[in-house]
Amino acid sequence: MIEVDGLTLIYGRGGAAVPAVAGLSMKVDSYELVSVVGPSGCGKTTLLFALDGLLAPTAGRIRVHGEEVRSVRRDVALILQDAGLLPWKTVRANADLSLRIQGRKSSAGKVLADLGLAGFEKRFPSELSEGMKRRVGIARALALQPRVMLMDEPTANLDSITREHIQNLILGLWWEMGFTGVLVTHDMEEAVFLGKRILVLSARPARVVEVIDNPGMGEPGYRGTSEFVAQVAHLRQVLGGNGS
Amino acid sequence: MNRTLRLSMYYLLAIALVLLVWAATSWLLEATRGREILPTPWVTFAAAAANFGTLASAFGSSALRFLIALAVAFLLGLPLGLAVGFESKLDRYLSPLIYLLYPMPPVALLLFLYLAFGLGEVVRLVVVVMALFFQVVVAAQGAAKYVVPSHVTAVRSAGATRGQIYRHVVLPATLPSVLTAARVSVGLGITMLYIAETKLGLLLGPRAGLGRFIEYYTFRGDISLAGVVGLALLGLLFYAVLELLERFLCRWKFVGARGGA
Repeated sequence: MIEVDGLTLIYGRGGAAVPAVAGLSMKVDSYELVSVVGPSGCGKTTLLFALDGLLAPTAGRIRVHGEEVRSVRRDVALILQDAGLLPWKTVRANADLSLRIQGRKSSAGKVLADLGLAGFEKRFPSELSEGMKRRVGIARALALQPRVMLMDEPTANLDSITREHIQNLILGLWWEMGFTGVLVTHDMEEAVFLGKRILVLSARPARVVEVIDNPGMGEPGYRGTSEFVAQVAHLRQVLGGNGS
Repeated sequence: MNRTLRLSMYYLLAIALVLLVWAATSWLLEATRGREILPTPWVTFAAAAANFGTLASAFGSSALRFLIALAVAFLLGLPLGLAVGFESKLDRYLSPLIYLLYPMPPVALLLFLYLAFGLGEVVRLVVVVMALFFQVVVAAQGAAKYVVPSHVTAVRSAGATRGQIYRHVVLPATLPSVLTAARVSVGLGITMLYIAETKLGLLLGPRAGLGRFIEYYTFRGDISLAGVVGLALLGLLFYAVLELLERFLCRWKFVGARGGA
């Protein structure tokens, strides 16, 4: 479970201070997958980094499984926008990276194989397609067997077919592994497809302006339903009304 | 194999071209000035063969001296350059100092270096290290400044310590630039080596280094020129070693996109 209470994040000091998040409160239940959408530059990624413990709150509190987040936690994994692969490490070394940093003995070999990357372990990121890179980024996070998965636009800049593949993969993994997830996206269809609830943020400084329940989410076939189309239309309307 | 063969061909062609230009210049100078000024390649090679033992010793001494200087410059300059480039606070305080000292040629300080370190081996190393050190520092600093933030976030989000950030991100990200800078600096380093061996090696014999060898045989143009060829080969050797090192340590830079689904 993730609980955020009156979170405020301010970059810089004095006259150069930029408030990124102002008094934001939200809650994500255990095993729930929540989408976060909002206007460009509203502070979505900043919020995610704070949830990961990478940024200390200026004010307010973040708790994961009842414990206050003061630094990076071993049971929380972050998937970065461009997968965050290190170009000088092979696929295997990239997937194992978080494990090695945390001094864990296990390896990401099986996860890589499960994600269809067997045989590519010795390749470097520059030798992979964009879709494969994202899967390596996901493998790196999954290898940690996290209880909480934070995802920062995991399908940004992908072609539509690859994007749907990755979205289906995330959905499948959520079912299979039962993690608590927060997905930041600017793609409205993705937000509806992957969010049991959709949190709509205001323009910077970010705060939650609307929470949309999305009970139909959970099956790959959801995309073709009229409910999905209606939810996307509703979200578009909400975001339009918020000046994005 | 094909690539190696092609590369060898290019080098052979380059050597042939250098010899041709060298021979033509010798002839031209002799024809216009009426006496031998620049010994021809074969006269030089004959002199090299006749003094092979001394020349090989001089080459070995210079190579070892340069290798030690390069290693020391890397060991001292790389951590400093990376830290100054990556840590913004250090950058603010130390960059002005580095930029102030960087353009200062160690040659201008020879007298003080001699007074400080004497005429032994140390002073010759110090001169070469000083020249290479700043090249490494400035290259490492420049590269570390532009480390991609998402690469740092990737390891920080796994809980990386400062040391792990340097090991997994900063060092490998900057290594190609640093090695390229080191390769470019070989020319300057060899020049400094020559100066150190001539100006600070007055009491030594011709086996003590190529600079001393060249100086020692100043009045035997053919032998002296053989020493110059030795210096050129020394530069080429280190250039090639640094390139091989880059290909080995930065293998990721040399792989192309093979695609995939």
